[in-house]
Amino acid sequence: MKTLEAEHLKKSYRQGGKEVQAVVDVSLTIAAGEVLAFLGPNGAGKTTTIKLIAGLIRPDAGTVRIVGRDPHREPQVLAQVGAVLEGNRNLYWRLTPLQNLEYFGVLRGLKAKTARQRGLELLETFGLMEKREVAVQTLSRGMQQKLAIATALIHRPALLLLDEPTLGLDVEAAQTVKSLVRQIAAAGQAILLTTHQLDIAEVLSDRVAVIQKGVIIAQAPTQEFIRHFAGTDCTYSIELEESLDGERAAQLQSWGVVVEDTHRLRFTGSSEQLYRVLERINPLPLLRIQREEADLTHIFLKLLKKGNQEG
Amino acid sequence: MIQLFWAELKRSWIQYIRYPIEAIGGILITTFFFYALFVGARYVAGPTSQFGERLDAVVVGYVLWTLVIFIVNDIALNLQVESQTGTLEQVLLSPFSAASIFLARACASFSLRFTSVITILLVILGLTGSRLQFPPSLILPFLSVVLGAYGFAFLLGSAALLFKRIQQLLVISQFGLLFLLATPTEEWQGSLKWLGQGLPMTAGAGLLRDVMVRETGLDGLRLLLSLMSGVVYFVLGMVAFRWSVGVAKDRGILGSQ
Ligand SMILES: Nc1ncnc2c1ncn2[C@@H]1O[C@H](COP(=O)(O)OP(=O)(O)O)[C@@H](O)[C@H]1O
Ligand SMILES: [Mg+2]
Repeated sequence: MKTLEAEHLKKSYRQGGKEVQAVVDVSLTIAAGEVLAFLGPNGAGKTTTIKLIAGLIRPDAGTVRIVGRDPHREPQVLAQVGAVLEGNRNLYWRLTPLQNLEYFGVLRGLKAKTARQRGLELLETFGLMEKREVAVQTLSRGMQQKLAIATALIHRPALLLLDEPTLGLDVEAAQTVKSLVRQIAAAGQAILLTTHQLDIAEVLSDRVAVIQKGVIIAQAPTQEFIRHFAGTDCTYSIELEESLDGERAAQLQSWGVVVEDTHRLRFTGSSEQLYRVLERINPLPLLRIQREEADLTHIFLKLLKKGNQEG
Repeated sequence: MIQLFWAELKRSWIQYIRYPIEAIGGILITTFFFYALFVGARYVAGPTSQFGERLDAVVVGYVLWTLVIFIVNDIALNLQVESQTGTLEQVLLSPFSAASIFLARACASFSLRFTSVITILLVILGLTGSRLQFPPSLILPFLSVVLGAYGFAFLLGSAALLFKRIQQLLVISQFGLLFLLATPTEEWQGSLKWLGQGLPMTAGAGLLRDVMVRETGLDGLRLLLSLMSGVVYFVLGMVAFRWSVGVAKDRGILGSQ
Protein backbone atom coordinates (compact mmCIF):
# COMPACT_ATOMS: atom_id res chain seq x y z
CA MET A 1 0.00 0.00 0.00
CA LYS A 2 1.31 3.41 -1.01
CA THR A 3 1.15 6.31 1.41
CA LEU A 4 -0.73 8.39 -1.14
CA GLU A 5 -2.82 7.15 -4.03
CA ALA A 6 -4.79 9.79 -5.90
CA GLU A 7 -6.71 8.69 -8.96
CA HIS A 8 -8.21 10.77 -11.74
CA LEU A 9 -8.87 13.82 -9.63
CA LYS A 10 -10.99 16.47 -11.26
CA LYS A 11 -12.11 19.86 -10.02
CA SER A 12 -13.59 22.88 -11.68
CA TYR A 13 -14.61 26.15 -10.07
CA ARG A 14 -17.42 28.43 -11.01
CA GLN A 15 -16.31 32.01 -11.14
CA GLY A 16 -18.50 34.84 -12.33
CA GLY A 17 -20.79 32.45 -14.19
CA LYS A 18 -18.05 30.70 -16.16
CA GLU A 19 -16.30 27.47 -15.37
CA VAL A 20 -12.59 27.33 -14.55
CA GLN A 21 -11.12 23.86 -14.95
CA ALA A 22 -8.44 23.86 -12.29
CA VAL A 23 -7.70 20.13 -12.20
CA VAL A 24 -8.72 18.03 -15.17
CA ASP A 25 -7.06 14.66 -14.62
CA VAL A 26 -4.47 14.09 -11.94
CA SER A 27 -3.28 10.72 -10.66
CA LEU A 28 -0.38 10.48 -8.26
CA THR A 29 1.15 7.87 -5.99
CA ILE A 30 3.84 8.33 -3.38
CA ALA A 31 5.47 5.58 -1.33
CA ALA A 32 6.83 6.00 2.19
CA GLY A 33 10.14 7.84 2.25
CA GLU A 34 9.66 9.11 -1.27
CA VAL A 35 9.71 12.76 -2.37
CA LEU A 36 7.55 13.63 -5.35
CA ALA A 37 8.09 17.02 -6.91
CA PHE A 38 4.96 18.36 -8.47
CA LEU A 39 6.05 20.83 -11.09
CA GLY A 40 4.07 23.27 -13.09
CA PRO A 41 3.68 26.91 -14.04
CA ASN A 42 1.44 29.26 -12.03
CA GLY A 43 -2.23 28.43 -12.32
CA ALA A 44 -1.59 24.86 -13.47
CA GLY A 45 -3.60 23.36 -10.61
CA LYS A 46 -0.93 22.44 -8.06
CA THR A 47 -2.50 24.11 -5.02
CA THR A 48 -5.92 22.77 -5.91
CA THR A 49 -4.49 19.24 -6.12
CA ILE A 50 -2.81 19.61 -2.72
CA LYS A 51 -6.07 20.76 -1.16
CA LEU A 52 -8.02 17.95 -2.82
CA ILE A 53 -5.60 15.52 -1.20
CA ALA A 54 -5.80 17.27 2.18
CA GLY A 55 -9.60 17.06 2.20
CA LEU A 56 -9.98 20.86 2.07
CA ILE A 57 -11.57 20.88 -1.37
CA ARG A 58 -14.03 18.25 -2.51
CA PRO A 59 -13.21 16.69 -5.90
CA ASP A 60 -15.82 16.61 -8.68
CA ALA A 61 -14.54 13.15 -9.54
CA GLY A 62 -11.71 10.82 -8.64
CA THR A 63 -10.50 9.35 -5.37
CA VAL A 64 -7.87 10.09 -2.76
CA ARG A 65 -6.40 7.36 -0.55
CA ILE A 66 -4.02 8.16 2.25
CA VAL A 67 -2.59 5.00 3.79
CA GLY A 68 -5.53 3.31 2.10
CA ARG A 69 -8.29 5.56 3.44
CA ASP A 70 -10.30 8.37 1.88
CA PRO A 71 -9.93 11.67 3.79
CA HIS A 72 -13.23 12.91 2.40
CA ARG A 73 -15.09 9.93 3.90
CA GLU A 74 -12.95 9.18 6.94
CA PRO A 75 -11.56 12.43 8.32
CA GLN A 76 -9.72 10.46 11.02
CA VAL A 77 -7.07 9.68 8.42
CA LEU A 78 -6.18 13.38 8.38
CA ALA A 79 -4.16 12.52 11.50
CA GLN A 80 -1.74 11.10 8.92
CA VAL A 81 -1.44 14.34 6.94
CA GLY A 82 0.61 17.45 7.58
CA ALA A 83 0.57 20.42 5.23
CA VAL A 84 2.15 23.78 4.67
CA LEU A 85 -0.10 25.71 2.33
CA GLU A 86 0.95 28.47 0.02
CA GLY A 87 -0.36 32.00 0.40
CA ASN A 88 -1.79 31.12 3.79
CA ARG A 89 -0.83 31.93 7.29
CA ASN A 90 -0.21 28.44 8.55
CA LEU A 91 0.31 29.63 12.13
CA TYR A 92 -1.31 31.87 14.71
CA TRP A 93 0.75 35.04 14.66
CA ARG A 94 -0.11 36.09 18.17
CA LEU A 95 1.10 32.81 19.65
CA THR A 96 4.71 31.80 20.19
CA PRO A 97 6.32 28.95 18.25
CA LEU A 98 5.91 26.53 21.14
CA GLN A 99 2.27 27.55 21.69
CA ASN A 100 1.55 26.96 18.01
CA LEU A 101 3.16 23.54 18.13
CA GLU A 102 1.19 22.60 21.25
CA TYR A 103 -2.10 23.89 19.89
CA PHE A 104 -1.86 22.22 16.51
CA GLY A 105 -0.55 19.05 18.14
CA VAL A 106 -3.77 18.71 20.15
CA LEU A 107 -5.84 19.66 17.12
CA ARG A 108 -4.23 16.78 15.22
CA GLY A 109 -5.13 14.40 18.01
CA LEU A 110 -2.15 14.40 20.40
CA LYS A 111 -2.33 14.75 24.18
CA ALA A 112 -1.26 18.19 25.37
CA LYS A 113 1.76 16.76 27.16
CA THR A 114 2.97 14.80 24.14
CA ALA A 115 2.45 17.83 21.92
CA ARG A 116 4.58 20.00 24.20
CA GLN A 117 7.36 17.47 24.42
CA ARG A 118 7.50 16.89 20.65
CA GLY A 119 7.21 20.63 20.09
CA LEU A 120 10.36 21.18 22.11
CA GLU A 121 12.16 18.44 20.20
CA LEU A 122 11.14 19.97 16.88
CA LEU A 123 12.21 23.46 17.94
CA GLU A 124 15.58 21.96 18.80
CA THR A 125 15.96 20.14 15.46
CA PHE A 126 14.78 23.15 13.49
CA GLY A 127 17.09 25.53 15.33
CA LEU A 128 14.27 27.68 16.69
CA MET A 129 14.87 27.05 20.37
CA GLU A 130 15.91 30.58 21.27
CA LYS A 131 12.83 32.00 19.54
CA ARG A 132 10.34 29.80 21.36
CA GLU A 133 9.00 32.59 23.56
CA VAL A 134 8.42 35.35 20.99
CA ALA A 135 5.27 35.93 18.95
CA VAL A 136 5.37 34.33 15.52
CA GLN A 137 4.58 37.62 13.80
CA THR A 138 7.99 38.99 14.84
CA LEU A 139 9.89 36.09 13.24
CA SER A 140 11.52 36.41 9.83
CA ARG A 141 9.74 34.90 6.83
CA GLY A 142 12.27 32.07 6.72
CA MET A 143 11.78 31.21 10.38
CA GLN A 144 8.01 31.30 9.99
CA GLN A 145 8.30 28.86 7.15
CA LYS A 146 10.56 26.55 9.13
CA LEU A 147 8.11 26.69 12.02
CA ALA A 148 5.20 25.99 9.68
CA ILE A 149 7.00 22.85 8.53
CA ALA A 150 7.77 21.85 12.11
CA THR A 151 4.11 22.35 13.02
CA ALA A 152 3.05 20.19 10.09
CA LEU A 153 5.24 17.44 11.52
CA ILE A 154 4.11 17.60 15.15
CA HIS A 155 1.81 14.58 14.85
CA ARG A 156 4.35 12.59 12.80
CA PRO A 157 2.12 12.26 9.73
CA ALA A 158 2.79 9.62 7.09
CA LEU A 159 2.29 12.21 4.36
CA LEU A 160 3.66 15.72 4.26
CA LEU A 161 2.28 18.19 1.72
CA LEU A 162 4.44 21.22 1.00
CA ASP A 163 3.00 23.85 -1.33
CA GLU A 164 5.79 26.04 -2.71
CA PRO A 165 7.87 25.67 0.46
CA THR A 166 10.66 27.99 -0.67
CA LEU A 167 8.56 30.67 -2.32
CA GLY A 168 9.46 34.13 -1.09
CA LEU A 169 12.42 32.96 0.97
CA ASP A 170 15.90 34.41 0.62
CA VAL A 171 18.63 32.13 -0.69
CA GLU A 172 19.91 31.13 2.71
CA ALA A 173 16.48 30.33 4.16
CA ALA A 174 15.60 28.38 1.01
CA GLN A 175 18.78 26.37 1.51
CA THR A 176 17.80 25.54 5.09
CA VAL A 177 14.33 24.47 4.03
CA LYS A 178 15.84 22.26 1.34
CA SER A 179 18.08 20.46 3.77
CA LEU A 180 15.16 20.05 6.19
CA VAL A 181 13.08 18.40 3.48
CA ARG A 182 15.88 15.96 2.78
CA GLN A 183 16.14 15.16 6.47
CA ILE A 184 12.40 14.55 6.78
CA ALA A 185 12.29 12.23 3.77
CA ALA A 186 15.23 10.28 5.16
CA ALA A 187 13.13 9.71 8.29
CA GLY A 188 10.62 7.79 6.13
CA GLN A 189 7.81 10.25 5.53
CA ALA A 190 6.25 10.57 2.09
CA ILE A 191 6.49 14.11 0.77
CA LEU A 192 4.56 15.85 -1.96
CA LEU A 193 6.22 19.10 -2.83
CA THR A 194 4.89 21.56 -5.35
CA THR A 195 7.14 24.09 -6.93
CA HIS A 196 7.68 26.02 -10.07
CA GLN A 197 11.38 26.25 -9.27
CA LEU A 198 13.11 23.42 -11.06
CA ASP A 199 16.38 23.42 -9.19
CA ILE A 200 14.46 22.55 -6.04
CA ALA A 201 12.76 19.59 -7.65
CA GLU A 202 16.06 18.47 -9.09
CA VAL A 203 17.96 18.30 -5.83
CA LEU A 204 15.13 17.16 -3.59
CA SER A 205 12.92 14.75 -5.42
CA ASP A 206 13.00 11.05 -6.18
CA ARG A 207 10.29 11.49 -8.77
CA VAL A 208 8.76 14.35 -10.68
CA ALA A 209 5.29 14.90 -12.09
CA VAL A 210 4.70 17.81 -14.42
CA ILE A 211 1.26 19.40 -14.51
CA GLN A 212 -0.02 21.82 -17.08
CA LYS A 213 -3.55 23.20 -17.33
CA GLY A 214 -4.76 20.62 -14.85
CA VAL A 215 -3.31 17.61 -16.63
CA ILE A 216 -0.22 15.61 -15.74
CA ILE A 217 1.88 15.63 -18.87
CA ALA A 218 4.88 13.66 -17.59
CA GLN A 219 5.74 11.59 -14.56
CA ALA A 220 8.96 9.65 -13.91
CA PRO A 221 11.84 9.11 -11.50
CA THR A 222 13.84 12.33 -11.49
CA GLN A 223 17.06 10.86 -12.92
CA GLU A 224 15.24 8.85 -15.57
CA PHE A 225 13.17 11.88 -16.41
CA ILE A 226 16.26 13.93 -16.97
CA ARG A 227 17.86 11.21 -19.10
CA HIS A 228 14.75 10.52 -21.13
CA PHE A 229 13.54 14.00 -21.83
CA ALA A 230 16.93 15.48 -22.33
CA GLY A 231 16.66 13.90 -25.79
CA THR A 232 19.61 13.81 -28.15
CA ASP A 233 20.56 17.44 -27.68
CA CYS A 234 23.30 17.96 -25.15
CA THR A 235 25.46 20.80 -24.09
CA TYR A 236 29.20 20.36 -24.59
CA SER A 237 32.03 22.50 -23.39
CA ILE A 238 35.19 22.37 -25.44
CA GLU A 239 38.59 23.63 -24.37
CA LEU A 240 41.45 24.15 -26.85
CA GLU A 241 45.17 24.13 -26.27
CA GLU A 242 45.83 26.78 -28.93
CA SER A 243 43.78 29.86 -29.60
CA LEU A 244 41.07 29.93 -32.23
CA ASP A 245 41.59 32.20 -35.27
CA GLY A 246 39.00 34.83 -36.20
CA GLU A 247 37.79 33.16 -39.38
CA ARG A 248 37.05 29.83 -37.65
CA ALA A 249 35.44 31.61 -34.70
CA ALA A 250 33.10 33.53 -37.00
CA GLN A 251 31.99 30.41 -38.80
CA LEU A 252 31.48 28.43 -35.58
CA GLN A 253 29.42 31.27 -34.18
CA SER A 254 27.23 31.21 -37.26
CA TRP A 255 26.46 27.54 -36.37
CA GLY A 256 25.32 28.56 -32.92
CA VAL A 257 28.53 27.80 -31.06
CA VAL A 258 29.16 30.15 -28.16
CA VAL A 259 32.75 31.33 -28.26
CA GLU A 260 33.45 32.19 -24.65
CA ASP A 261 37.04 33.15 -25.34
CA THR A 262 39.71 32.10 -27.82
CA HIS A 263 40.31 28.84 -25.93
CA ARG A 264 36.83 27.97 -24.78
CA LEU A 265 33.68 27.03 -26.69
CA ARG A 266 30.22 25.97 -25.67
CA PHE A 267 27.79 24.16 -27.91
CA THR A 268 24.31 22.66 -27.64
CA GLY A 269 23.15 20.20 -30.28
CA SER A 270 23.10 16.60 -31.49
CA SER A 271 26.24 14.47 -31.63
CA GLU A 272 26.38 14.72 -35.46
CA GLN A 273 26.49 18.47 -35.14
CA LEU A 274 29.19 18.08 -32.53
CA TYR A 275 31.37 16.19 -34.98
CA ARG A 276 30.83 18.88 -37.58
CA VAL A 277 32.06 21.43 -35.06
CA LEU A 278 35.07 19.28 -34.21
CA GLU A 279 35.86 18.87 -37.94
CA ARG A 280 35.99 22.63 -38.29
CA ILE A 281 38.33 22.93 -35.33
CA ASN A 282 40.64 20.25 -36.76
CA PRO A 283 43.68 20.30 -36.57
CA LEU A 284 43.85 22.55 -33.47
CA PRO A 285 44.86 20.40 -30.49
CA LEU A 286 42.04 19.74 -27.98
CA LEU A 287 42.60 20.05 -24.27
CA ARG A 288 39.28 18.84 -22.95
CA ILE A 289 35.77 18.09 -24.14
CA GLN A 290 32.91 17.44 -21.75
CA ARG A 291 29.20 16.78 -21.93
CA GLU A 292 27.26 18.70 -19.31
CA GLU A 293 24.51 17.02 -17.29
CA ALA A 294 21.09 17.96 -18.62
CA ASP A 295 19.04 19.84 -16.08
CA LEU A 296 15.34 20.01 -15.39
CA THR A 297 14.94 23.60 -16.48
CA HIS A 298 15.82 22.68 -20.00
CA ILE A 299 13.45 19.69 -20.06
CA PHE A 300 10.67 21.54 -18.38
CA LEU A 301 10.66 24.36 -20.88
CA LYS A 302 10.72 21.89 -23.71
CA LEU A 303 7.80 19.93 -22.29
CA LEU A 304 5.73 23.04 -21.78
CA LYS A 305 6.41 24.17 -25.30
CA LYS A 306 5.28 20.80 -26.58
CA GLY A 307 2.18 20.86 -24.36
CA ASN A 308 1.29 24.32 -25.60
CA GLN A 309 1.57 23.29 -29.23
CA GLU A 310 -0.67 20.29 -28.69
CA GLY A 311 -3.20 22.07 -26.48
CA MET B 1 -12.76 16.55 23.17
CA ILE B 2 -11.81 17.83 26.62
CA GLN B 3 -8.19 18.13 25.45
CA LEU B 4 -9.45 20.20 22.56
CA PHE B 5 -11.39 22.46 24.91
CA TRP B 6 -8.31 23.11 27.06
CA ALA B 7 -6.18 23.80 24.01
CA GLU B 8 -8.77 26.27 22.74
CA LEU B 9 -9.12 27.90 26.15
CA LYS B 10 -5.38 28.37 26.32
CA ARG B 11 -5.24 29.74 22.79
CA SER B 12 -8.11 32.20 23.38
CA TRP B 13 -6.57 33.33 26.65
CA ILE B 14 -3.13 33.92 25.14
CA GLN B 15 -4.56 35.80 22.18
CA TYR B 16 -6.74 37.80 24.55
CA ILE B 17 -3.89 38.96 26.81
CA ARG B 18 -1.23 39.27 24.09
CA TYR B 19 -2.06 42.96 23.84
CA PRO B 20 -2.82 43.91 27.46
CA ILE B 21 -3.85 47.47 26.57
CA GLU B 22 -6.47 46.14 24.16
CA ALA B 23 -7.75 43.63 26.75
CA ILE B 24 -7.83 46.07 29.65
CA GLY B 25 -9.36 48.74 27.45
CA GLY B 26 -12.12 46.33 26.51
CA ILE B 27 -12.86 45.51 30.15
CA LEU B 28 -12.85 49.18 31.17
CA ILE B 29 -15.21 50.12 28.38
CA THR B 30 -17.58 47.30 29.26
CA THR B 31 -17.45 48.21 32.96
CA PHE B 32 -18.07 51.86 32.23
CA PHE B 33 -20.91 50.98 29.90
CA PHE B 34 -22.63 48.80 32.49
CA TYR B 35 -22.07 51.33 35.23
CA ALA B 36 -23.50 54.16 33.18
CA LEU B 37 -26.46 51.98 32.37
CA PHE B 38 -27.19 51.26 36.01
CA VAL B 39 -26.65 54.75 37.33
CA GLY B 40 -28.40 56.31 34.36
CA ALA B 41 -31.39 54.04 34.80
CA ARG B 42 -31.62 54.95 38.46
CA TYR B 43 -31.27 58.63 37.81
CA VAL B 44 -33.94 58.71 35.16
CA ALA B 45 -36.33 56.66 37.22
CA GLY B 46 -35.68 58.29 40.59
CA PRO B 47 -34.80 56.40 43.78
CA THR B 48 -38.24 55.05 44.67
CA SER B 49 -39.76 54.92 41.26
CA GLN B 50 -42.08 52.12 40.30
CA PHE B 51 -40.05 51.98 37.10
CA GLY B 52 -37.10 50.69 39.11
CA GLU B 53 -38.12 47.13 38.51
CA ARG B 54 -38.72 47.74 34.86
CA LEU B 55 -35.28 49.31 34.45
CA ASP B 56 -33.51 46.52 36.28
CA ALA B 57 -35.18 44.21 33.81
CA VAL B 58 -33.83 46.24 30.94
CA VAL B 59 -30.38 46.08 32.49
CA VAL B 60 -30.56 42.29 32.69
CA GLY B 61 -31.37 42.39 28.97
CA TYR B 62 -28.39 44.60 28.25
CA VAL B 63 -25.96 42.42 30.17
CA LEU B 64 -27.20 39.37 28.33
CA TRP B 65 -26.95 41.31 25.11
CA THR B 66 -23.24 42.09 25.56
CA LEU B 67 -22.50 38.49 26.47
CA VAL B 68 -24.37 37.17 23.46
CA ILE B 69 -22.67 39.68 21.16
CA PHE B 70 -19.32 38.45 22.45
CA ILE B 71 -20.29 34.88 21.64
CA VAL B 72 -21.64 35.71 18.21
CA ASN B 73 -18.73 37.93 17.23
CA ASP B 74 -16.15 35.49 18.57
CA ILE B 75 -17.46 32.75 16.35
CA ALA B 76 -18.63 34.58 13.25
CA LEU B 77 -15.94 37.25 13.03
CA ASN B 78 -13.13 34.80 13.78
CA LEU B 79 -14.37 32.48 11.07
CA GLN B 80 -14.22 35.36 8.62
CA VAL B 81 -10.78 36.53 9.73
CA GLU B 82 -9.28 33.04 9.85
CA SER B 83 -10.63 32.22 6.44
CA GLN B 84 -8.96 35.37 5.09
CA THR B 85 -5.59 34.84 6.79
CA GLY B 86 -5.68 31.14 5.97
CA THR B 87 -5.37 29.59 9.42
CA LEU B 88 -8.86 28.14 8.94
CA GLU B 89 -7.57 25.59 6.44
CA GLN B 90 -4.87 24.47 8.85
CA VAL B 91 -7.45 24.17 11.61
CA LEU B 92 -9.75 22.06 9.46
CA LEU B 93 -6.89 19.76 8.53
CA SER B 94 -7.74 17.74 11.58
CA PRO B 95 -9.25 14.40 12.48
CA PHE B 96 -11.82 16.36 14.53
CA SER B 97 -14.85 17.61 12.63
CA ALA B 98 -15.19 21.33 11.95
CA ALA B 99 -18.30 21.37 14.13
CA SER B 100 -16.55 19.90 17.17
CA ILE B 101 -13.54 22.17 16.82
CA PHE B 102 -15.65 25.28 16.63
CA LEU B 103 -17.89 24.10 19.41
CA ALA B 104 -14.82 23.66 21.61
CA ARG B 105 -13.77 27.16 20.55
CA ALA B 106 -17.17 28.56 21.37
CA CYS B 107 -17.13 26.96 24.82
CA ALA B 108 -13.63 28.25 25.49
CA SER B 109 -14.32 31.80 24.45
CA PHE B 110 -17.60 31.71 26.33
CA SER B 111 -15.86 30.66 29.54
CA LEU B 112 -13.53 33.61 29.18
CA ARG B 113 -16.20 36.16 28.38
CA PHE B 114 -18.60 34.82 30.97
CA THR B 115 -16.00 35.11 33.70
CA SER B 116 -15.13 38.67 32.76
CA VAL B 117 -18.73 39.83 32.34
CA ILE B 118 -19.78 38.29 35.65
CA THR B 119 -16.82 39.88 37.42
CA ILE B 120 -17.71 43.25 35.96
CA LEU B 121 -21.34 42.78 36.87
CA LEU B 122 -20.52 41.86 40.48
CA VAL B 123 -18.27 44.90 40.85
CA ILE B 124 -21.02 47.15 39.56
CA LEU B 125 -23.66 45.56 41.73
CA GLY B 126 -21.38 46.20 44.70
CA LEU B 127 -20.97 49.83 43.68
CA THR B 128 -24.64 50.52 43.04
CA GLY B 129 -26.21 48.26 45.63
CA SER B 130 -28.71 46.87 43.16
CA ARG B 131 -31.26 44.32 44.29
CA LEU B 132 -30.67 41.88 41.44
CA GLN B 133 -31.05 38.26 42.49
CA PHE B 134 -28.82 35.35 41.50
CA PRO B 135 -30.62 32.22 42.70
CA PRO B 136 -29.56 28.81 41.28
CA SER B 137 -32.88 28.63 39.44
CA LEU B 138 -31.54 31.02 36.83
CA ILE B 139 -29.12 28.40 35.52
CA LEU B 140 -31.59 26.64 33.23
CA PRO B 141 -33.08 29.76 31.62
CA PHE B 142 -29.56 31.07 31.18
CA LEU B 143 -28.57 27.81 29.53
CA SER B 144 -31.45 28.15 27.10
CA VAL B 145 -30.31 31.66 26.15
CA VAL B 146 -26.73 30.49 25.66
CA LEU B 147 -27.85 27.58 23.47
CA GLY B 148 -29.90 29.98 21.37
CA ALA B 149 -26.92 32.34 21.15
CA TYR B 150 -24.69 29.52 19.92
CA GLY B 151 -27.28 28.60 17.33
CA PHE B 152 -27.45 32.20 16.17
CA ALA B 153 -23.63 32.47 16.17
CA PHE B 154 -23.22 29.35 14.05
CA LEU B 155 -25.84 30.60 11.60
CA LEU B 156 -23.86 33.81 11.16
CA GLY B 157 -20.65 31.78 11.06
CA SER B 158 -22.09 29.79 8.17
CA ALA B 159 -22.80 33.04 6.37
CA ALA B 160 -19.20 34.12 7.06
CA LEU B 161 -17.88 30.92 5.46
CA LEU B 162 -19.94 31.34 2.33
CA PHE B 163 -20.04 35.10 1.84
CA LYS B 164 -16.74 36.13 3.47
CA ARG B 165 -17.59 39.73 4.36
CA ILE B 166 -20.24 39.87 7.01
CA GLN B 167 -19.43 42.99 9.06
CA GLN B 168 -22.62 44.68 7.85
CA LEU B 169 -24.63 41.63 8.76
CA LEU B 170 -23.02 41.58 12.21
CA VAL B 171 -23.88 45.22 12.88
CA ILE B 172 -27.49 44.66 11.87
CA SER B 173 -27.64 41.47 13.90
CA GLN B 174 -26.56 43.36 17.02
CA PHE B 175 -29.71 45.43 16.86
CA GLY B 176 -31.70 42.32 16.20
CA LEU B 177 -30.16 40.71 19.26
CA LEU B 178 -30.90 43.76 21.37
CA PHE B 179 -34.52 43.47 20.38
CA LEU B 180 -34.58 39.74 21.08
CA LEU B 181 -33.00 40.04 24.51
CA ALA B 182 -34.31 43.30 25.88
CA THR B 183 -37.93 43.18 24.73
CA PRO B 184 -40.21 41.88 27.47
CA THR B 185 -42.02 39.47 25.14
CA GLU B 186 -43.32 37.64 28.21
CA GLU B 187 -45.70 40.58 28.64
CA TRP B 188 -47.09 40.25 25.12
CA GLN B 189 -50.64 39.01 24.80
CA GLY B 190 -52.55 36.60 22.59
CA SER B 191 -50.96 35.09 19.51
CA LEU B 192 -48.06 37.54 19.78
CA LYS B 193 -47.17 35.75 22.97
CA TRP B 194 -46.52 32.53 21.07
CA LEU B 195 -44.47 34.38 18.51
CA GLY B 196 -42.41 35.82 21.38
CA GLN B 197 -41.77 32.36 22.76
CA GLY B 198 -40.69 31.11 19.36
CA LEU B 199 -38.05 33.76 18.67
CA PRO B 200 -34.48 32.77 19.48
CA MET B 201 -33.40 33.51 23.06
CA THR B 202 -36.37 35.69 24.01
CA ALA B 203 -38.17 33.09 26.10
CA GLY B 204 -35.09 32.41 28.19
CA ALA B 205 -34.34 36.09 28.57
CA GLY B 206 -37.89 36.62 29.83
CA LEU B 207 -37.48 33.89 32.43
CA LEU B 208 -34.23 35.46 33.59
CA ARG B 209 -36.01 38.73 34.14
CA ASP B 210 -38.64 36.85 36.13
CA VAL B 211 -36.07 35.24 38.36
CA MET B 212 -33.62 38.07 38.78
CA VAL B 213 -35.89 41.09 38.90
CA ARG B 214 -39.43 40.09 39.67
CA GLU B 215 -38.33 37.35 42.04
CA THR B 216 -41.14 35.16 40.84
CA GLY B 217 -40.62 31.43 40.62
CA LEU B 218 -40.00 29.59 37.37
CA ASP B 219 -42.97 28.64 35.26
CA GLY B 220 -42.40 24.98 34.38
CA LEU B 221 -44.06 25.10 31.00
CA ARG B 222 -42.30 28.27 29.91
CA LEU B 223 -38.98 26.85 31.08
CA LEU B 224 -39.55 23.72 29.03
CA LEU B 225 -40.50 25.78 26.00
CA SER B 226 -37.49 28.04 26.33
CA LEU B 227 -35.12 25.07 26.67
CA MET B 228 -36.69 23.45 23.64
CA SER B 229 -36.33 26.65 21.65
CA GLY B 230 -32.67 26.87 22.74
CA VAL B 231 -31.99 23.31 21.64
CA VAL B 232 -33.80 23.79 18.33
CA TYR B 233 -31.83 26.94 17.45
CA PHE B 234 -28.59 25.30 18.55
CA VAL B 235 -29.20 22.25 16.38
CA LEU B 236 -30.22 24.49 13.49
CA GLY B 237 -26.97 26.44 13.82
CA MET B 238 -24.83 23.30 13.92
CA VAL B 239 -26.61 21.75 10.94
CA ALA B 240 -26.21 24.96 8.93
CA PHE B 241 -22.54 25.12 9.89
CA ARG B 242 -21.83 21.56 8.79
CA TRP B 243 -23.65 22.20 5.57
CA SER B 244 -21.79 25.41 4.82
CA VAL B 245 -18.39 23.80 5.51
CA GLY B 246 -19.38 21.21 2.90
CA VAL B 247 -20.42 23.88 0.41
CA ALA B 248 -17.21 25.83 1.03
CA LYS B 249 -15.21 22.66 0.32
CA ASP B 250 -17.18 22.16 -2.88
CA ARG B 251 -16.51 25.69 -4.06
CA GLY B 252 -12.92 25.67 -2.82
CA ILE B 253 -13.44 28.82 -0.75
CA LEU B 254 -12.37 27.73 2.73
CA GLY B 255 -9.13 29.60 2.20
CA SER B 256 -8.19 33.09 1.22
CA GLN B 257 -9.36 32.89 -2.42
N1 LIG C 1 -11.55 29.11 -5.36
C1 LIG C 1 -11.35 29.32 -6.66
N2 LIG C 1 -12.33 29.84 -7.42
C2 LIG C 1 -12.13 30.03 -8.76
N3 LIG C 1 -10.99 29.74 -9.40
C3 LIG C 1 -9.97 29.22 -8.71
C4 LIG C 1 -10.09 28.98 -7.30
N4 LIG C 1 -8.90 28.47 -6.87
C5 LIG C 1 -8.10 28.38 -7.96
N5 LIG C 1 -8.73 28.82 -9.07
C6 LIG C 1 -8.19 28.82 -10.44
O1 LIG C 1 -7.82 27.48 -10.74
C7 LIG C 1 -6.60 27.44 -11.46
C8 LIG C 1 -5.58 26.60 -10.74
O2 LIG C 1 -5.17 27.26 -9.56
P1 LIG C 1 -4.12 26.67 -8.54
O3 LIG C 1 -4.52 25.29 -8.18
O4 LIG C 1 -4.00 27.64 -7.44
O5 LIG C 1 -2.78 26.63 -9.42
P2 LIG C 1 -1.24 26.62 -8.97
O6 LIG C 1 -1.17 26.31 -7.53
O7 LIG C 1 -0.62 25.57 -9.83
O8 LIG C 1 -0.69 27.99 -9.28
C9 LIG C 1 -6.18 28.88 -11.67
O9 LIG C 1 -6.65 29.26 -12.95
C10 LIG C 1 -6.92 29.62 -10.59
O10 LIG C 1 -7.20 30.94 -10.99
MG1 LIG D 1 -0.26 27.42 -6.06
